Amino acid sequence: MEKIGRQVRLPLATAMQISLQGIRIRLGRALVTLSGVVLGIAFLMSVITGEFINAAVKQEREVRNQTTLMSTFVTSEVGAVAGKTLSVAVFGALSAPEQALLAGLAAEHATLRAYGYSGTGVTAVPAGRLGEGSALLLVLGDNPAPGIALGGLMAGMVQPVALDARLRTYPDTPPGRLEHFGIQSAEMLAKAREAERQQGFRTRWIVIISLLVTVIGIANALLMSVTERFKEIGTMKCLGALSGFIRRLFLIESAVIGFVGSFVGLLVGLAFPLLAYGVTFGFPAVFSALDGKRLALSALLCLTAGTALSILAAIYPANFAARMVPASALRSNV
Amino acid sequence: MITPAQLEALFDLRDADDSDYVIRAVDVRKIYRTGEVETHALRGATLDIHRGEYLSIMGPSGSGKTTFFNAIGGLSKPTTGKVYIDQVDIAQLDPYELAWLRCRKVGYIFQAFNLIQVMSCLENVTLPMAFAGMSGEDARDKGMEILSLVGLAERALHKPAEMSGGQQQRVAIARALANSPSIILADEPTANLDLHTGEEIIDLFDRLKAELGVTIVTATHDLKMLKKSDRIVWIEDGLIARVSTPDALDIRVEEIH
Ligand SMILES: Nc1ncnc2c1ncn2[C@@H]1O[C@H](COP(=O)(O)OP(=O)(O)OP(=O)(O)O)[C@@H](O)[C@H]1O
Ligand SMILES: [Mg+2]
Repeated sequence: MEKIGRQVRLPLATAMQISLQGIRIRLGRALVTLSGVVLGIAFLMSVITGEFINAAVKQEREVRNQTTLMSTFVTSEVGAVAGKTLSVAVFGALSAPEQALLAGLAAEHATLRAYGYSGTGVTAVPAGRLGEGSALLLVLGDNPAPGIALGGLMAGMVQPVALDARLRTYPDTPPGRLEHFGIQSAEMLAKAREAERQQGFRTRWIVIISLLVTVIGIANALLMSVTERFKEIGTMKCLGALSGFIRRLFLIESAVIGFVGSFVGLLVGLAFPLLAYGVTFGFPAVFSALDGKRLALSALLCLTAGTALSILAAIYPANFAARMVPASALRSNV
Repeated sequence: MITPAQLEALFDLRDADDSDYVIRAVDVRKIYRTGEVETHALRGATLDIHRGEYLSIMGPSGSGKTTFFNAIGGLSKPTTGKVYIDQVDIAQLDPYELAWLRCRKVGYIFQAFNLIQVMSCLENVTLPMAFAGMSGEDARDKGMEILSLVGLAERALHKPAEMSGGQQQRVAIARALANSPSIILADEPTANLDLHTGEEIIDLFDRLKAELGVTIVTATHDLKMLKKSDRIVWIEDGLIARVSTPDALDIRVEEIH
């Protein structure tokens, strides 16, 4: 007579092998579960990648917007600039949009007369003669109080109109119209910042919801696969499988699906924003905006999150399967 | 089909002690509850099974044979009553000991075969070996040997779905032998087999019993099997109605037909 012994815990490799074989044979079902992970993680990855491509191209885009805004002002004052004489007074350093504006005007064949600035296609003139024959005066640069009289600069203009890029004060009353252009007030900046904060909040919320949906989707798919495999699980228990082994089968299956799904998901989630931003801002700009280290970190985050969430989703189905009574598998109708 | 030496290589010779009982069921009752309905599948079955005995269980459909098998094999807990295997009350066993018992001590042949559909025949047979901690080449060789014992060596890599009912039944028999159990519980093991194959299985059981002292309990209506058995137990309506010997069989069989 043999004494009753204790069943040994099987090595992880055995569970792994049986689990992988199960996935291979029920590939269709595994793919359905996998596609849920792919979608969830692709979304997460595209939000992350999108965000930092966006941050990188944002500055450039802001310069472009600012430049467009200023040149719109100029056109609305004088119409098409080609052939027109425009005066430019520069106090202090030019900002990037201001430089772009001047380059743009020169490119459109405006005749530029400038004080405090020199460049190709620009005639440097003394302050007293700046206004002669010009249609518009642009006051640029970052010096907030140049201490110069506007009257001198505007003398001799065809139309006495000045556009100032800063809210500058002058010692005299301007002889013509003085307007400000291309500047954003503190209020506008605060509003933009608030909108951005709100947007970030909303994005995070959507990411959380979508990951939650993914988790529930995986749990649901696994629960279904548990019910499908009722007989199989029960049979294994009848043949001496420990509950822990059954639990591990499902956890491994889910971990594998989670890992593979996250990997595919992060590739999709990377490709999508690259394509979208690439079309808008040009591929070189977008690729140069990519930062290898941050990219690797985000990929790691996606892989970890996807695998961990899949395992999390499998806990309930796995326990459900593990708790099954062996004899319940033996009825031929299940 | 197979030489005694081969058979011995597969199964350890166990010292049979005729004086003790390998399985004892004492007043086993089983009530299934499905919603409001209660089914009294077993209503106080008491039976002692000798070590090395070849016991057949007969009874009409729904009389509780399968339920009794599950109870004495440690697959489901009786509602009340006790089951002893090798003098141990199996209700006292922890999950590890129960799993060990199901894996190594008892070989089950289920009425519905319960083969794992996603695994090949060979994998079905080696699965209990894997649970017992045996894997790789050793398990494969042993699995092939057992499969050839039931005449299915050349179908080893087929899936159960690609096989006939009788072939599946033989795989189920092979699987039950995987860990050389000292008890075989077979729920209608020859129901789907043709005369010849059925006889071979009966012969195999006979030798397992005679040469290795394996205790064999089968639910069956197969006359040949009944004739080979030491005792025949009649279950009716969840109770052991009577216990007889094959000698008294001829009259009895006519009764049930
Ligand atoms: N899991 C279950 N839930 C509810 N009732 C069950 C369950 N299993 C069996 N029964 C009922 O218990 C009774 C005995 O069933 P059992 O399967 O033991 O009969 P059996 O003698 O094996 O019959 P057969 O010869 O047809 O296999 C039947 O009335 C059956 O309907
Ligand atoms: Mg039955």
